[in-house]
Amino acid sequence: MSLRVGIDVGGTFTDFALHDSASGSLRIGKVLTTPTDPSVGVLAGLDAMATAAGCQVADLAQAVHATTIATNTVIQRNGPEIALLTTEGFRDVLIIGRQKRWELYDNSIDKPTPLVPRHRTWEVPERLMFDGRVHKPLDEAAVRRVAREIRDAGVDMVAICFLHAYVNAAHERRAAEIIQAEVPGMTVTLSSEVSPIYREYERASTTTINAYVMPAVAAYVRRIEQGLESRGARRALYLMQSNGGIATPEIVTKFPVRIIESGPAAGVLTAARYREAAGTENLMSFDMGGTTAKICLIEGGRPALTGQFEVDMVHLKKNSGLPMTIPAIDLVEIGAGGGSIAAVQMGTIVVGPQSAGSVPGPICYGRGGARPTVTDADLVLGYLNPDYFLGGEMRLNVEAARRGIVAGVGAALGMDAVAAAWGIHEVVTSQMAQAARVVSVGRGKDPRHFALIPFGGAGPVHGARLARMLGCPRVVFPKDAGVESAIGLLMAEPSFDLARTLIVRLEAAALPAVNALYRELEAAGAAQLDACRVDGRHRLARSADMRFAGQGYEINVPLPGSTYGADDVARLRDAFFREYATAYGDRAFDRRDAVEVVHWRLTASVAIPPLSLAPLPAGDGSAKEAAKGTRPVYFPEAGGFTDCPVYDRYALRAGDTLAGPAVIEERESTVVVLPGSRARVDAAGNIVVDLDS
Amino acid sequence: MAAVDPITFSVLWGGLLSAAAEMGVTLSRTAYSAAVREGLDYSTALFDADGNMVAQGDYSPGHLGSMAFTVRKVLETYPKEHLQPGDAILLNDSGIGSGHLPDFFMISPIHVADELIGFAVNCAHHVDVGGSGAGSQVIEGIIENYQEGIRFLPTRCYVQGAPVEDIFRVIAANVRQPEKVIGDLRAQVNANMTGARRLVSLAETHGLATLRAAMGEIIRQSEEQMRAAIRTIPDGVYSFTDHMDDVGPGTEPVVAKVTVTVADGTIAVDWTGSGPQREAGLNSYLHYTYAYTIAAVKSVTLPTAPQNEGVIRTITITAPEGTFFNPRYPAPSGGRATISHRIYETVLGALAQAVPDRVMAANSHFFNPNLGGTDPATGRAFVCYELVIGGIGGRPYKDGEEALASPWNAANIPVEIQEAANPILVERFELMADSAGPGRFRGGMGLRRDIRLLADGVRFFNLGDRSLFQPYGLAGGHGGRLAETWLNPGTAAARALHSKGSYRLAEGDLISWRTAGAGGYGDPLARDVALVVRDVVNGYVSVAAAERDYGVVLDPATLKVDVAATRRRRQAAVPQPATAD
Repeated sequence: MSLRVGIDVGGTFTDFALHDSASGSLRIGKVLTTPTDPSVGVLAGLDAMATAAGCQVADLAQAVHATTIATNTVIQRNGPEIALLTTEGFRDVLIIGRQKRWELYDNSIDKPTPLVPRHRTWEVPERLMFDGRVHKPLDEAAVRRVAREIRDAGVDMVAICFLHAYVNAAHERRAAEIIQAEVPGMTVTLSSEVSPIYREYERASTTTINAYVMPAVAAYVRRIEQGLESRGARRALYLMQSNGGIATPEIVTKFPVRIIESGPAAGVLTAARYREAAGTENLMSFDMGGTTAKICLIEGGRPALTGQFEVDMVHLKKNSGLPMTIPAIDLVEIGAGGGSIAAVQMGTIVVGPQSAGSVPGPICYGRGGARPTVTDADLVLGYLNPDYFLGGEMRLNVEAARRGIVAGVGAALGMDAVAAAWGIHEVVTSQMAQAARVVSVGRGKDPRHFALIPFGGAGPVHGARLARMLGCPRVVFPKDAGVESAIGLLMAEPSFDLARTLIVRLEAAALPAVNALYRELEAAGAAQLDACRVDGRHRLARSADMRFAGQGYEINVPLPGSTYGADDVARLRDAFFREYATAYGDRAFDRRDAVEVVHWRLTASVAIPPLSLAPLPAGDGSAKEAAKGTRPVYFPEAGGFTDCPVYDRYALRAGDTLAGPAVIEERESTVVVLPGSRARVDAAGNIVVDLDS
Repeated sequence: MAAVDPITFSVLWGGLLSAAAEMGVTLSRTAYSAAVREGLDYSTALFDADGNMVAQGDYSPGHLGSMAFTVRKVLETYPKEHLQPGDAILLNDSGIGSGHLPDFFMISPIHVADELIGFAVNCAHHVDVGGSGAGSQVIEGIIENYQEGIRFLPTRCYVQGAPVEDIFRVIAANVRQPEKVIGDLRAQVNANMTGARRLVSLAETHGLATLRAAMGEIIRQSEEQMRAAIRTIPDGVYSFTDHMDDVGPGTEPVVAKVTVTVADGTIAVDWTGSGPQREAGLNSYLHYTYAYTIAAVKSVTLPTAPQNEGVIRTITITAPEGTFFNPRYPAPSGGRATISHRIYETVLGALAQAVPDRVMAANSHFFNPNLGGTDPATGRAFVCYELVIGGIGGRPYKDGEEALASPWNAANIPVEIQEAANPILVERFELMADSAGPGRFRGGMGLRRDIRLLADGVRFFNLGDRSLFQPYGLAGGHGGRLAETWLNPGTAAARALHSKGSYRLAEGDLISWRTAGAGGYGDPLARDVALVVRDVVNGYVSVAAAERDYGVVLDPATLKVDVAATRRRRQAAVPQPATAD
């Protein structure tokens, strides 16, 4: 496995990172994304990369790919007509949903539009009880009739979601058999396979999303795979899943819902590789792009996972999108990016969620944008260089930004351009700090024990300020932040998060069923790992979602991997108490109370060797070679505009150190080093900044 | 008062709102009852040291509107100087709290270096607080509040961080599911600790004087914006009358009459002319009347702005003492949740005359029944709390949404969770064809939920409305179909049940709730034919109703529109008046 490539398709660019493990050489590249069929750009870019590197695509041992194809299919609603088959009496499961409002007093809100209209939903008589017993057997004749009706409606994709199928899959499986026998060629996707987790609306939503994106994902993956094969690279393709693990095309084609968050997951994984640079296992990834900012905690190299998230939300408001109960990287995403628009409401500066996007874009782009954005503020404050944006490809208009900020924000508050620009910068950063607190303090984690890893176009501009607000002691600005996600893909392991709902009290009597459940999950996990054909040690890690009996929210607790006996009960309870105390405090519960387990989980992964990279040459430690001069940059702690040294990131050498305030320019972003902090360049080329305490 | 610069002000306001929201996350994640954790029937807020509400989490308007008045009343019992760090005060009194006993408030003073800086407050609906029936929301046969459960005036239940075990023992002895009630109370304390930590951290980061100034400024700015928004409503006097069906079997309707007076940036809402206080578990204590009156006014003025003392103080609300909307103690009120819609919709009906393009027609209404008994599988008592929520009314520019909580915020409890916790089987949960009020923009559909009992001797306390007075339409839109509750429908033993009756049911019985359909907006004959066809294809509207209500003639076999017949039918029909009032 010497030659591997990571490919990340973004909205504007498709990024490549080509790595040769024999030499440690890393070559990066960028081509324009081809939106109508991103596989065209991927394959063309791959050819270009190979040519430039003097190798053949056929030499690739692995091509690891992150794609937004699944998400885009849902957001643009351009998937096929699909059918939903439910238990009799529950055809409206997707329309009814959970009925919660996402805006309390606004009567104009709408619920998310389901992917299956009512006239494409069919019911059959059958019923299971909550413990899996059959209450009413499956009406097989009804299934046969429905199969023909679905065929006659011209639909060839069916999602099945029966009540309580998470505990007993027999009816769903049998219905699938009958449908496929009755209508050969019909594709069927089962809730008991996609997401065997309770809460019928969320499971039905997950299952229909899986069906809805399946044709688009399958066709896309096939095009890439065929492109690779025609160039001689066989069975080289892997895809990034929402949980941060990679999987083969076969698995992804069967469970395409697992790649909904493929792109963001790649970004977070990237951040996970800076443990060494940060000198800690606790990292907080901070990806700030044009329209949103995404923040995620990473502990011990593994990003935090969530069991449920939403796609196609309105203003990123909870409950405004379609939910999925599958493991995904636990990102908090807010509408705060470089293009986010600033305005005044009720005497306050408000930033986002409206964004100027890239068209018309911020005012300073001169493409017709008229409302002030975060990028305009960053420019007025001197953080961005108007002559070196995208390496000088685009000139930015400072005067226009200044005028727009006064008109859009300053005038209403009696502030001049600089004061208002600072207000925008400070407010957007504090919004991100609040979001970061949700995933840190809100989960019982103290940000003062985490190092911040900023990336994305605006991340390095705001990273140090955000770290200071949160109390993070250290910030690592990665080398090649512009193609971080593509590099991160090379670090990704095959990894599958399997789960099953089995609600039991944590008592000795429950353990035989748990042991049986884990035998099945471990066999399934091992089979998926084997199918990945990646060398390395297989790891099977268990965890369970536990709560006090009667509670409704569970917390995830790591479990030892063994066959459990009666003497393990106390150990498992203690593990739960530890996690609960971390999240809610030592006094929030009574240790005598019964403990219940709801979901049993297994993470199956393959340990792969770390990415070996050629080190950056060492310099004389002074950073003098990289100095580009000075310019006025705004730092309130330095009393306002101050003559600030500017450095060229590409001329920095390993071991160089510099003191803040400083601005370090690179093509896709700018690192802002605050007064009172010190930066040093590590052997890998990352800039490590220690904030004052 | 120290001034606060706009930047710090922006940051602090955001911080306070996010702290209030975070309190809700802690509450729902550590709560025990399905009402709190799945039904989301709780609310959180932060107050300043004088008892002014500064920031609330967006949860339940019924609690949030009441809360604003509660803390000041608590200070009458526990003056500021008697409160110490780590204290917590609980109360569920209907008059001081949010209008019925199941809602427990938890109020925690927050101190920085022994100085009181504010309060973390939350309110949660408890699954049971004792009294005559499971769930403590019985209506029939209740003549005074003492029958409805245990009652607390403001009572200190934590002293300097330690629980007063005596009080919790009293509570545990008086409720049907003590482990859930005590667990939820503990979750409420946890939530306040979250809020307190965040407020203290804001004070430490920005300075106490600045925090205080920002709290004052939040209220001042909100009041100013709210007055400006009220000025966009044409001055005038707007009156509207609606009804609740009754207050239990064999009782008279409740008249809900409101007069809204808008004049130069002020708005006064007066409930004079409404019916008298009733002898049934259904009266609206003044705080509850306030809460949904405020919610209705807010929806047409500043719907997306944060609610706080500044917004609330712009609205004057009055109701004569001794009437349904301002009863005297000990009026019973367990089932008062069902009044929320009527308060909101009566005010909205009046405002529709002033700002017809900002309102919606009446909602479906909802059922909030409780069932109690013994689970044969476990031998333990169960209390099953159900929420059957229909659709919202037609809007000036689009249809009402299907199956959406309004004006309050709650979620249904998943079938798979209800069945794991209670001896019931949910057999049906679906929209009902032809239930929606027709209109150019039709109302949301009525919803049906059927459950079969798997236990014997179950006490069933129904709680619904709109079985006699349909949800009104607006601007020529029609009302929605009436609500019904059936026992064992489709069998020889079928029997219509009263929307607020109490029953004892047997194993195998099936209860079928059918909410009303929501009202329509605008003349149904003006509805886009394509939308009518879409509704017929989806089974929302029958072919017969398409012709009868919308004048759209379809071939029943092909569902193709008969264009000529439709034109004739629509031209011949005379638009019907709205069914409101």
